[in-house]
Amino acid sequence: MAALCHDVGHLPFSHSAEKELLPEGWNHERLTLEIIRSDEMKLIWKDIKITSDDVAKLAVGPKYFRDSYFNNWEVILSEIITGNSFGVDRMDYLLRDSHHAGVAYGKFDHYRLIDTLRILPKKEDGSIEPVLGIEQGGLHSAESLLLARYFMYTLLYFHSIRRIYDIHLRDFLKEWLPNGYFHTALLDHLQINDNTILTELFKAADDVTLNGYDPARRIANREHFKLLYQRNPRDVNKNPDSAKAVFEAACDKFGVNNVRDDNYKQRGNGHEFPVITDDNQILSSLELSDTLKNVPIVAVDYVFINPDLYQDAQKWKKENIQTIILLKKEEDHE
Amino acid sequence: MNRLKRDVVILSLIENLKKKGSWCGETHIQKATYFLQELFDLPLGFEFILYKHGPFSFDLSDELTAMRADMLLKIQPQPRPYGPSLVPRNGSKSFKNHFPNTLKKYDSNIQFVANKFKDRGVSELERLATALYVTQEINPKGSSEFRAKRITELKPHISIEEAVAAVKEIDEIIIVSQKHK
Repeated sequence: MAALCHDVGHLPFSHSAEKELLPEGWNHERLTLEIIRSDEMKLIWKDIKITSDDVAKLAVGPKYFRDSYFNNWEVILSEIITGNSFGVDRMDYLLRDSHHAGVAYGKFDHYRLIDTLRILPKKEDGSIEPVLGIEQGGLHSAESLLLARYFMYTLLYFHSIRRIYDIHLRDFLKEWLPNGYFHTALLDHLQINDNTILTELFKAADDVTLNGYDPARRIANREHFKLLYQRNPRDVNKNPDSAKAVFEAACDKFGVNNVRDDNYKQRGNGHEFPVITDDNQILSSLELSDTLKNVPIVAVDYVFINPDLYQDAQKWKKENIQTIILLKKEEDHE
Repeated sequence: MNRLKRDVVILSLIENLKKKGSWCGETHIQKATYFLQELFDLPLGFEFILYKHGPFSFDLSDELTAMRADMLLKIQPQPRPYGPSLVPRNGSKSFKNHFPNTLKKYDSNIQFVANKFKDRGVSELERLATALYVTQEINPKGSSEFRAKRITELKPHISIEEAVAAVKEIDEIIIVSQKHK
């Protein structure tokens, strides 16, 4: 039940701009909790003799469920659903999205992986805790899951063109939604779905007088902003916030309405987990796998520019980039 | 505190822990950052919850991963029975040099935490950090026995004797840390 309900609080178009389109203090996990605890759902939980909090706790995990502490078993059970390494949510969306997007790099042998998952005692400097780990025979399946995640994030989810469409969609919703936010009252929240929004978006794209006309027409007519800058190791080495510096300078030069930015960094550390070897030793995955040691962290920073200004912006960037990304020394008053 | 300044504080904490002999696994860094933030009211902005090894911040875990992506930290696998360490990368020194005021402002707090917790194992850190968590959750003036009992409720594998000792030690640490504020 917790696994089934894990994502029920998602907004239309899922993660697209959730942060900007919900009021302060709200996120989809909180909406998930609200739905699980709603009176309608309580009837279902009563029927099967569990409480809403039994489900809610495991569905969203300790990061979002704050009403009581998690014991070790509850932690493990919620990790099976939401965990960074082997969470079933992650396994499911990688496989499903790679299938529907028609890309092969999101696939991995989930049968083998699930078959070799184990709860293992992780020993660390005088402490022992039960965690999700794997048999040595499943290590290559785990590697392929984590590589699939890397490729899906870098090549699909965070592809620059896919991301700019999210941003135009967010801009449209910001103008179209009452007060710029989705409803958080459950019945109102559940009334709006992807189809409602697509209908309104195409309507707005054809009518200059409607709210959200400009971002809507950019999506409908494929006139999206173009990529001006993206993070790269050379610039990050000079300034970890190089993209932010370019974004701010571009806003000053071309105006905030003509520039957009986007950034994401991988969460948690999913590459380290215990592995039980064929001779019953429990070792770290990083000791056994050179691949896992070297899977890069997904990190994305983009700056986009209005296509009408693209040529000028490119020239400006070429002439000024080194000065813009220079990390300034902290001033005495700071 | 903005992200870059926060990274400078974390880097300095890790460097000092390492210099003084800590193995600097993620759990050590989590607990040391927790002590730094809570004992000295440092505005790092990490939200800690009670988790497997006591107070833990998912935000901090994400930040450590982000620092690896930003080439400030790297992961260093360790031979059994140790988990991997997080160590500063070469470029982190010149990055830190851009923030002399931040480093100076928090240096004595960082030194205090690094000195106090440099050679503590994960179990010990778990007990002490949970003792601080419970002390803040209940009331700093709550009796040692009451707080110790609460620790054993939350962490049943910790004995009452260990919990009492942890509460006493954390009370002493709180008093001494006031002088470094």
